[in-house]
Amino acid sequence: MSGAVARGGGTGRAAIWFGAPAFIGLAMFVLIPVLMSLALTFTNQRLVSPDPGEFVGTENYQRLLSVSYLVQSPERDAAGHIVTDSAGEPLYARARSITRTDPTFTGYRPMTEYRWGDKRVSILAKDPEFLRSLVNTFLFALLVVPLQCSAALLMALLVNAGLKGQTVFRGIFFSPVVMSMVIVSVVWAFLFDKDLGLFNTILSAVSFGAFQPVDWLGNAHTAMPALAIMSAWQGAGFQMLILLAGLQGISQELYDAAKIDGANAWQRFWNITVPGLRQTITFVLIVTTIAALGLFTQVDVMTQGGPQNATSTVMFQAIQRGVREENIAYGSTISIVYFGIITILILLQQAIQRRRARLNA
Amino acid sequence: MWKNLAGLDEEAATKAAIDRFNASQTKWHVRAQSLPQGAYSQSVVSASLSGRMPCIMTVDNPQVARFAWAGHLQPLAGHVPEALLDSVSPAAIGRFENRVYSVGQFDAALAIFTKRTTLEGTGTRVPTMDRPWSLAEFDALLVRLKATGKYRYPLDLSNSDPKADWWTYGYSPMLQSFGGDLIKHPSMDTAEGVLNGSDGQRFGNWFQSLFSRGLVNRMEPDQSAFVKGRAALAYTGNWWTPTYRDYAKGDLLILPPPDFGHGVTIGGGSWQWAISKACPHPDGAGAFISFLMQPREVAAMSDAIGLVPATAEGAVLSKDYRPGGSNRIFFEMLERFARQRPATPAFTEISNAFYKGMRNIMDGKDVQDSLDDAVDEIDTALADNDSGPARSQQSGKP
Repeated sequence: MSGAVARGGGTGRAAIWFGAPAFIGLAMFVLIPVLMSLALTFTNQRLVSPDPGEFVGTENYQRLLSVSYLVQSPERDAAGHIVTDSAGEPLYARARSITRTDPTFTGYRPMTEYRWGDKRVSILAKDPEFLRSLVNTFLFALLVVPLQCSAALLMALLVNAGLKGQTVFRGIFFSPVVMSMVIVSVVWAFLFDKDLGLFNTILSAVSFGAFQPVDWLGNAHTAMPALAIMSAWQGAGFQMLILLAGLQGISQELYDAAKIDGANAWQRFWNITVPGLRQTITFVLIVTTIAALGLFTQVDVMTQGGPQNATSTVMFQAIQRGVREENIAYGSTISIVYFGIITILILLQQAIQRRRARLNA
Repeated sequence: MWKNLAGLDEEAATKAAIDRFNASQTKWHVRAQSLPQGAYSQSVVSASLSGRMPCIMTVDNPQVARFAWAGHLQPLAGHVPEALLDSVSPAAIGRFENRVYSVGQFDAALAIFTKRTTLEGTGTRVPTMDRPWSLAEFDALLVRLKATGKYRYPLDLSNSDPKADWWTYGYSPMLQSFGGDLIKHPSMDTAEGVLNGSDGQRFGNWFQSLFSRGLVNRMEPDQSAFVKGRAALAYTGNWWTPTYRDYAKGDLLILPPPDFGHGVTIGGGSWQWAISKACPHPDGAGAFISFLMQPREVAAMSDAIGLVPATAEGAVLSKDYRPGGSNRIFFEMLERFARQRPATPAFTEISNAFYKGMRNIMDGKDVQDSLDDAVDEIDTALADNDSGPARSQQSGKP
C-alpha cells in the first residue's frame, strides 16, 4: 500500500478497489440477507405459501419476548383452611389452566414459579422455549469457553515443551478440528450412551460397579455439560494452534534470563508466558465465545434440544421455527433479536475495555 | 417430470417404467429429473415462484394439501380416469377440499415385529388381524419380557429417529387408537379437546410410562436393537422386513399393532404422483400416471423397491404381496387399518408440535402440560395460516 500512499490522492480509490471483493461478498451474503430478514420480521411470511406475507407490525417480537406473571393464593376449603397435599405443601390451582382460559393471559405459558409467603408467583412468557434457549446458550458459552481455552493452552504448552514426538502430537491434537462436526457428534452420542457407552462402562469398571450409569444426554442436568465437554474436545485443537504461534513468538532469551535469576517453572509461566500471550489469549477467548454462541450442530445431532429443552439453543430454535416449521418470519425475528443482544454485549465489552485502557494510561 | 430421490432401486425402477411408457405410445415423451428428498419442498416452491415447474411431480401424501392450497397442483379429475382412482387404496390417494390431487403406486405400513419363540416363552397368544392385542395384553407382555431379564428394553419403538414426520407417522396412529387425534375432524380448525382430551392424556401417560418403566429405551444407540437381540419386539415399517427376515428366518412374526380401544390404526399415504398447475399438457401427464397405475406397473414397482402395492390388482401380480405372499399382511393392514395424516396445509406445524410434545412426554414432562403446549402451537399455526386449513376435509377411511 505504500505505493498508493505515495501517490497521495489515489489512496481512497485504491482502498475501494482492494476492498471490493470483500465488500461485495459481505454485502451479498451478510448485509442484504440481514436487511431482508429484518424486513421479514414485521410480516407473517411462511416458506411454502401462495400468499405474500402481510405486514403484522411487531407481532412477532411480542410473541417472542412477552413476559408476564401470575400470583396465586393457595386453594381453601369451605371452612377457609388452606388445602395442602400429602407433603404439607399448600395446593394451588393449575397455572396452565388459568393461562389457557383467562383472556388476559392469551398466548402465555408458565415458565417457572416461585413461592412468596403462601403466595405462588408464576413467571409467564409467550415463548418460554426461546427464553430458555437464550439462557442455555449463554450457559453453554460459560461452560465451554474456560474449558476449551484452558485445554488448548495446556496442549499448546505440551507440544511446545520440546518433548519427543511433539510434531506427531500436534497433528493428533489438531485432528478433531478437521473432522466433520456431524460425525464427531454421532460418535460421541455412542460414547455417552447410558447402557453401552464407553464412558459409563469405564467409570463402572474403575469403581468396581459402584458407579451408577448416568444417561449423559438424557438427563437435564448432565446434557449441557456433556455437550460442552464434547465441543471443547472437538474445537480445542484450533485454539491450540493459535496459542502455539503466540508461544513461539515469546523470546527464548526471557526464559533463559529468568532461569539464571533462579525463577522456577511456575514463575516463568506466570510472569513470562501469560503476559506474553495476553493478546493471543484475548483473541482466543473472543473467537471461542463467538463459536459457542452459534452452537447448533451438536444439539441437532445429539439431543434435538432435549431433554425438555435443556440443551435447546437460540440457533437451534431459529432453524426449528424458521425452516422446519416453515415460519420464516418468526425464525428471522429470533435471529434479529439475538443479533441485537450480541451487538449490545459487544458494545458494552468495548466500552469497558476503552475505559480500562484510559485508566491504565 | 420431477421426482424425489429415494434410493437407487426406486430410481432404476422409475426409469424403466418411463422407458416403457415412452415406448408404448408416440404422442408423449416423459423426461425425468430426480431431486434430493431433503430439499424437495424448497425446490418445488422456488420452481413455482420462478415459473419453472415440471409437468408431473411426486409429492409426499401429507404435503399434498399444502401444495394444492399453495396452488402448485391441479386436480387429477379429467386427466386420470375415475374408475382407475376407484381401484386404488384410499390411503394412496391425496385429497384436498374433496378433490383428488395425487395418487400413489405404493404405500408403506407399520407393524410389530417379533419372533414366535419369543412369544411362546411368555405364554402370550399370537394376535391376528381380527383379534389384535388389547392394551392390557400388550402392556402385560412387555412387563413380562422385561421381567425375564433377557431384555433391558423389550420394545424398540424406533424413537431414536429424530424426524418430526416419523414421530407423527409412527405414534399419532396410537393416539388415534386410544381415541384421541391430532386435530378435530371434520372441522380441522383446532386441536383443543382431541389432542389434549382425556383419551389423549391416557395415551400420553401410557407413552410416558413405557420409558419410566424401562420398557422402551429413550435413545437406542443404533437401529438394530431387534436384530442384535437387545429388544424382543420392534415397532417399525414394512421396509425393515428383508433385514428382519434375514435375522429371524421362519421364526419372524409380523403382527398388527395393538388395538388401544378404538380399533387398530396405522399410518397411510406415501409418495404419490401429481400434476402441476403449470403443466401445459395435463392430458399427457394424466396418460403417464394412468400408465403407472396399471396392475403390472404397480406390481413391477413393488417388486423392485419392496413397498406395498396400492391396488388390489397390482398386489395380485406382485411377488410378496399376492394372496398367500410372504408380506401379504401389510397390504391387508393398509386396506383395513390405514388412516392418513390430516390433509391440511398446516400439517408441518401440527407434526412439529406433536413431535415436541411427545418428546417432552418421553422425557418426563407433565403430560397435560405437554399436550396443552402442542395444542396451543397447533391452534396458533392454524390461526396464522387462516386462509386455508379450516376449510379442508379429511380423506381416507374414517
